[in-house]
Amino acid sequence: MKIEKNIPAQSLCDLTISNLSVWFTDVEVLKNISINFKKNKVNCIIGPSGSGKSTLLRSLNRINDDVHKIKTSGTIHFNNENILQKNQDVTKLRKNIGMVFQSPCVFPKSISENVTFGIQQLKKLSKAEKAIIVEENLKKVSLWPEVHTRLNESANTLSIGQQQRLCIARTLAVQPKIILMDEPTSSLDPLSTRAIENLMITLKETYTVILVTHDINQAKRVSDHVFFICNGELIEEGTKDHFFNAPQREETKEYLKDEACIC
Amino acid sequence: MSRKVKNSLFKSSVYLASFLSISILLFLIITLISKGINALSWQFLTSESSNFGSQGGIIYQIIGSLLLTLSAAIISFPLALGMAIYKSEYIKRNLFQNITNTLIYSLNGIPSIIFGIFGLIFFVNILNMGISWFVGGIILAIMILPTITLSSYQSIISIPISYRENAASLGLTKWQVIHTIVLPRAISGGFTGLLIGLARAIGETAPIMFIATAFSGVTFPNSFLEPVSSLPTHILALAQQATNPQALQNAWGASLVLIILVFIFSISALIRRIHYSKVNY
Repeated sequence: MKIEKNIPAQSLCDLTISNLSVWFTDVEVLKNISINFKKNKVNCIIGPSGSGKSTLLRSLNRINDDVHKIKTSGTIHFNNENILQKNQDVTKLRKNIGMVFQSPCVFPKSISENVTFGIQQLKKLSKAEKAIIVEENLKKVSLWPEVHTRLNESANTLSIGQQQRLCIARTLAVQPKIILMDEPTSSLDPLSTRAIENLMITLKETYTVILVTHDINQAKRVSDHVFFICNGELIEEGTKDHFFNAPQREETKEYLKDEACIC
Repeated sequence: MSRKVKNSLFKSSVYLASFLSISILLFLIITLISKGINALSWQFLTSESSNFGSQGGIIYQIIGSLLLTLSAAIISFPLALGMAIYKSEYIKRNLFQNITNTLIYSLNGIPSIIFGIFGLIFFVNILNMGISWFVGGIILAIMILPTITLSSYQSIISIPISYRENAASLGLTKWQVIHTIVLPRAISGGFTGLLIGLARAIGETAPIMFIATAFSGVTFPNSFLEPVSSLPTHILALAQQATNPQALQNAWGASLVLIILVFIFSISALIRRIHYSKVNY
């Protein structure tokens, strides 16, 4: 299938997918996908449920590795290194490519311990260093004003929206270069969703964000570049304006019209 | 039969079953307390037994029982944790999971006397370790290993996958994920299993009577390879002198002390279970 590319000159990210195919047992869930993600942009992967968006995202930091009977072919290059190689240090990769999941998952620890959970496993930190990391990252996700008086309270006392921002702070504390977001607002109320969306726009100044969403309106609000995936295939990609205002493929037009997939 | 009658019949039968079970337990406890309370005194709890137990107290039997269960706990707990973590984190193929499950459940179903015979042949005769509390501890440890392993394993597999994925996505190694996410749950579940296992182990007579205990004449052991006296074997010895009223009273007293120790372990396990069911994982 010919892929429509509607891309003006942009700075490419260090993350490039070439001919990626993924099988669960014998079912091919991703078919020969090639993508160049754009640096310091919100790269949005959209598509209907079951189209392979999350599988694609989870391949980028190899969190899929533990899934039983998964097979992958093709390459994913990050910093000129094929991360799908067997000898790839996945822990180093995941430190550089952080991930925020669909539902917030805070550990049964205090708010501050949650922020430093990842980073303190990677390097030894003094109490003062921890305090700086906690404040810095909670400020980045605009959670500091809401929680600075109760940093030692359990993270479970936070609202779901606050918990998701805490999870983002925890990811940022590890100092990744790229942040993967797998439908991070799907379990949130509109107010919390808006807070996370604003955060994505702020984060792209420092990080490359790759967002998976099935919410077309969210993609319109936050994305810079859009990739449309249907039935495991990349159908079309383009800048936000081009993609939403002048889609080329019939499948894209149908999906944008009534979220129907005719692939 | 109408649905209403069926419902009443079912309700009555479960009420009756519960009533009978609780009545039997209460009858046992009341009998033990009423018969044993007369024997209980500070002197009984802190003095040495004499005249084959019909006189004196049970201090060395209490110490012996605690020593046996403590050594069983120290030996079995890390082994069970390791086995539970290996089972949950490293065995991927269903076939091996099924094999380990069968082995663990089979071990749990072995009659306790078989453990005693195994200990006698392997540790006492072949390894020539002699009759000692340490061998008794090893055998009790093997006996309670499945209970701790399964309890720990159940706790681990109840951890939502999202916790492991979130930890792994932060760049933690497999060992760090196990250390930070899996191990605390394994220890918590394993500890509950340990208390249940110890409640069973402290009352066992058959596995230890050939390999770890002497019926009389022993005090505090000076080494790993000396026998001890224990509450169950002491009760057995006293029961054999049932015609002697003093011996019988001491048997009731020792039984009451044993049941109190069992309840301490069981109730501690229950409290821990209630406490950890509230932890928000």
